[in-house]
Amino acid sequence: MDLARRLFLGQAARITAGAAFVPLASVAEAGINDQPPRRGGDPEKRYAMLIDLRRCIGCQACTVSCHIENQAPLGKFRTIVSQSEVQSTETGGLAQFMLPRLCNHCDNPPCVPVCPVGATFQREDGIVVVDSDRCVGCAYCVQACPYDARFINERTQTADKCTFCAHRLEAGLLPACVESCVGGARIIGDIHDPKSQISRMIDEHYDELKVLKPEKNTSPHVFYLGMDERFATRPAAVPGLWDVRDHEGQELGYEYAEH
Amino acid sequence: MQSIELIAPRYGIAWYPWAVQYFFLIALSYASLWLAVPGVIFGRENWKAAGRLALLGAVSTAIVAPITLLADLHQPMRFWHFYAYPNPTSWMALGSFFLPLYVGAVVVLGWLVWRNPMRAHANAGGVQGWLARIVPLGQWETPRWAVVLVGLAAVVFSLGVMIYTGAEVAILKARPLWHTEYLPAMFLITGLIGAAGLVVVLNRFSGLRHPRAGDQMLTVILVSLVLAGLVVAGWLAQGLTMNEGSVAAAIDSVRNNPDWRGLAYWNVVVGVVLFLGAGLMEIFGSLRGTRWILGLLALHVAWMFRWTVLMEVQTVARNSAGFQHYAIDPGSQGILGIVGSFGLWLAVVLIINMFVPWRTALGGRDEAEIPSAVQGEPNYG
Repeated sequence: MDLARRLFLGQAARITAGAAFVPLASVAEAGINDQPPRRGGDPEKRYAMLIDLRRCIGCQACTVSCHIENQAPLGKFRTIVSQSEVQSTETGGLAQFMLPRLCNHCDNPPCVPVCPVGATFQREDGIVVVDSDRCVGCAYCVQACPYDARFINERTQTADKCTFCAHRLEAGLLPACVESCVGGARIIGDIHDPKSQISRMIDEHYDELKVLKPEKNTSPHVFYLGMDERFATRPAAVPGLWDVRDHEGQELGYEYAEH
Repeated sequence: MQSIELIAPRYGIAWYPWAVQYFFLIALSYASLWLAVPGVIFGRENWKAAGRLALLGAVSTAIVAPITLLADLHQPMRFWHFYAYPNPTSWMALGSFFLPLYVGAVVVLGWLVWRNPMRAHANAGGVQGWLARIVPLGQWETPRWAVVLVGLAAVVFSLGVMIYTGAEVAILKARPLWHTEYLPAMFLITGLIGAAGLVVVLNRFSGLRHPRAGDQMLTVILVSLVLAGLVVAGWLAQGLTMNEGSVAAAIDSVRNNPDWRGLAYWNVVVGVVLFLGAGLMEIFGSLRGTRWILGLLALHVAWMFRWTVLMEVQTVARNSAGFQHYAIDPGSQGILGIVGSFGLWLAVVLIINMFVPWRTALGGRDEAEIPSAVQGEPNYG
């Protein structure tokens, strides 16, 4: 990524000689579905999150605090902890597996180049955000995200997603999910700063870290520590929750269905 | 390891049936334009009847398609953002430029072709006479070169529309079922099947009942079905041995979901019935009076393919177990939107039919000579 940025800056330097050609040149540089230039944010930083699954107890405090902080509509989540009950086929032993999900703020975010109006973009510090004043609500980015991290917010009628609580980071606060995590499982920080906690943990556990769906080549920047590889892609699981039905076959207990 | 999912969010769909309507209507439009090329642009006598019908199909669907696309936006009033903040890396942004150019060219082509017969009605009374005096913008004869020039421009823009609508969906890695180069090819071929079906249906219900146009369209349907079969065979052959990708995802869906199974059987059965029906009619001329049924079936194939690809694929979960639940909404995000856009298209066809003597364009016979012109209640299924 650093190399890519250096190349980009090099090109930018070359172009300054003929500033009048900059818009044309940037069109020629960016092929269809290539990443458009990043804008805004601190170019010195690269925010990322490390989730220590050994410390996650699946209490959903992050889900709730995110909901309160960011006012997502009911039934839609910027972050949530997926939970599965896992049984060993050999011993029959049971275990619970928690997987906090949120936007991966990928280095190669598939949601960004598809946006027809440039409303969703990546900042220099790696955070992927949506300009909800510009968004036309075409939902192309929702389709393009392999992690289901995006949704259409029916109140704003625009695309909505986790922003690493950029507004809180700018005020020197931690994101709501990190702040409220009971076990201290979520660690956010600047991976360009070698002294930050996240940089030290990445160094220490480098070989054990996993990302979700690495085969999509999105280069996610949410790293999981202590994750079973079988959950990195869509797990082969039986859907439990939504199949709870009453004696007439009606689904029980889903209050927020829009349909 | 066995596992049961305990907590997972329910992800809704993000593209509504409006998207199906758009992809359906725009494919009908560009493919109809291509069917009109030999008769309208190159002036081939044998293809003029088909050309008249196909041009009506191309213009009417081109007018309605952008409206359905606008309806699929959650912020339709912000459509001008496409032109104020274009993002050149996005296929959809490129499409936002191709689409108005294409629609404009097709409408101008229709105007150039239809203004000649319209001028003949300048002495008529009422709204028809008034329109016949105003719309042609003068008494000049449409020059042949203008039809050829605008027609070829429309064909060039239609290629842009065809490529962008396919690429827009096929580049999405996030949905393996879409992420295949075979998808744009299928959009194109099923579009041709639907457009030929549309011409057959218009041929019957406009009262034109031109036998040669009907036969030509049957041939188009037959050839396109063979091509569709080859594309599906190629798609299966290249993906059957792979553990991931679009074929694997399709097999997985068909295996694990009874709805998908039903849909797969239905699509195959309809395709085979259409092929056999069109083939039988080519052999036995006596069946040709029922061609319009095959026309409706061809439209159904083109629509159903888009419904399966755009709506059903969205129910395949990306991160959670099982399938996402989708129940079609009775309101404007669902059934009302589907029925409404077809109704709007019907209204456009009827208005054109009422004020534009399209039957006599390109040297066609006068309406008065065709006694069946008023028979047959329009019903476009």
